[in-house]
Amino acid sequence: MNVPEADLALAAGGDGVAPSSLVDRGRRQRVIRPLAFALLAAMIVYGAVSTSGFLTWDNAKAILASMGFVGIIAVGMTLIMLSGNLFSLSLGTTAAVSAMAFLAALHWGVAAAIAAALVLGLVIGAAQGLVVGGLAADPIIITIAAGTLQAGAAAGLSGGSSIQPSASASAYSFLANPIGGIPFSIYVLVGLALLGELLLRRGRFGRRLYLVGDSHDAAFAAGLSVTRVTTAAFAVAGGCAAIAGVLIGAFNQNASLLLTGTYTYDAIAAAIVGGNAISGGRGSISRSILGALLIATLGDLMLLRNYSTGAQILVKGVVVIIFVAALNSSRLGERR
Amino acid sequence: MTARALTAVRWAGRPGRRPLWSLLVMLAAFLVIPAMSGEELTTNNFYDISQNFASLGLVALALALTMIAGEFDIAIPATFLLGSMVAVKFGQHAAALGIALALAAGALAGLAQGTIIAKLKLNSMSVTLGGYLAILGVVYLLGHSNTVEFENYALGIALEKARLFDVISIRAGVSIAVFVVVAILLWTTRLGPELRAVGADRRSARTAGVEADRTLIAVFVASGVLPALAGALQGYALAYAAPSTSTSALIFAATAALLGGVSLSGGVGTVAGVAAGVLTLGLLQELLVVLAASEYLNSLVTGGLLVFVALLSAPGLVLRWRAVAARRRSRALSSANAGARVDPT
Repeated sequence: MNVPEADLALAAGGDGVAPSSLVDRGRRQRVIRPLAFALLAAMIVYGAVSTSGFLTWDNAKAILASMGFVGIIAVGMTLIMLSGNLFSLSLGTTAAVSAMAFLAALHWGVAAAIAAALVLGLVIGAAQGLVVGGLAADPIIITIAAGTLQAGAAAGLSGGSSIQPSASASAYSFLANPIGGIPFSIYVLVGLALLGELLLRRGRFGRRLYLVGDSHDAAFAAGLSVTRVTTAAFAVAGGCAAIAGVLIGAFNQNASLLLTGTYTYDAIAAAIVGGNAISGGRGSISRSILGALLIATLGDLMLLRNYSTGAQILVKGVVVIIFVAALNSSRLGERR
Repeated sequence: MTARALTAVRWAGRPGRRPLWSLLVMLAAFLVIPAMSGEELTTNNFYDISQNFASLGLVALALALTMIAGEFDIAIPATFLLGSMVAVKFGQHAAALGIALALAAGALAGLAQGTIIAKLKLNSMSVTLGGYLAILGVVYLLGHSNTVEFENYALGIALEKARLFDVISIRAGVSIAVFVVVAILLWTTRLGPELRAVGADRRSARTAGVEADRTLIAVFVASGVLPALAGALQGYALAYAAPSTSTSALIFAATAALLGGVSLSGGVGTVAGVAAGVLTLGLLQELLVVLAASEYLNSLVTGGLLVFVALLSAPGLVLRWRAVAARRRSRALSSANAGARVDPT
């Protein structure tokens, strides 16, 4: 099959929007993004006022607890989205696999176990980024397939049973204990977010990531290695998922693939609701964290009001569609 | 070589024949490998493959249609479950009504997603990701987060009984019939060329007078209806429907479509190719069953195969290959030049 070079960026997930409509979309975004955000926030406030037990310190802690893990994965998801590769459909699996690796490696000591899980996550992410960035392979297909491979490998190595830390394992409970009433994962999230924002705003990597996400073609023409930037973005995403996995494993004190749960979708929802551009190049980590806070608050509110699992998933899906439509519609300019 | 033989070789060597070749290679492997390890194949194994075609063939066809149109429907596993849940829940006493409602639900889900994608010009992967969650939520709501049983066991048994050649059940027959109908539709009407035009180059398709939005919406309606039909029939056949977050149907569909020669960048693919892809993957999975491979090995093989076909169809692979070849040529050329310059001295 004959593929013109210009199509490479399109196939890699970029929307290929003409520059003029980009400017226009930027202007539209500045108006619509806060508006959509405020609307959702207002809905939550309304629900909060009419729901007893919502505006309590205990409930705030519950929201933070559910936000911490998702937020950390969402930090990584943001980098993938910024790089113009939509999202990963297996960061939740990477988190679960890392949790298993962490607990299995605990007999080497806590620091070594964390390092092992982190290296595993980085390698898993980097491998995916390498083929997505280097060969313009489809990010969605690659991340789905990588999820199956990770699940298969983890099931094979663990013999299908859940992993419990051995008796000789070092004390790791500090990873699961709240400090000053606030879950440990929130401190990690804040630290990661600050580090990430610093990386994006001050570093060379950040500039390159935004450029690659905005237009693969322009980045390529400017002499940037799209492969290197994409690999780095996916590696950091895998690393973030691994950090979340360590905390999730420490929190549950045992780990299996069941831990995957809805982390993948929640992290994607956080990045989208936060207002990052699906097509890449525009957005920030802090937006995703706000998104994670909103998703967690929404989930908590529905839990308090006794909504069923189905209703919670349904609302999440509808919110994602509405935010995708409101923030990313490019009625100006063709997509292909 | 005679001219006729040359034509035959050319026909077999075209890129569009790749699905056929991979099917034949897999068939050979399926017939040879079990014999080598002392296992014996029975008609039951072929019945399994045909049942696999019944369950997942239409799911793969649905995804393939969206891929040919240059899009990608992530919501397909949820639409499949929606079909089975609606049919089982509302078809207890009138099975036909259950199927009709399942098809309507699938069509509605597809219509909503397709309209949003086409009219707002949105990336289909992000919209259908939201659609996946929304539809899955409806499935959980309908089943109250639980398995719903289908009381009409007789119908399930009738659907599953192998009738043709001891291999093909009514359920598989329906699936095959739908493949044939879709193939004829795409072959004989304008739908086929329009679908490929919209997938290959949407702007040119519009300029040429194709109603791209309408075509796109129709594709998403089809990718809602087809999995819903397969799901409904499977719900009846297994006599239950259950909510699940498994995405294995999507993985099967994507692998089968790519094996079947459908391109991720749109515009390329045939119904026959998809059928070959589904059969190839079905043979592989049955081979793993015959060899009694464990669950994890199945995941590793499935995931590995998907990575492999995704890399083969990655546009960058061709470009990289050409770049390497060009570099090698120019190096050979410059060293030859250098040699020529050195020679006289």
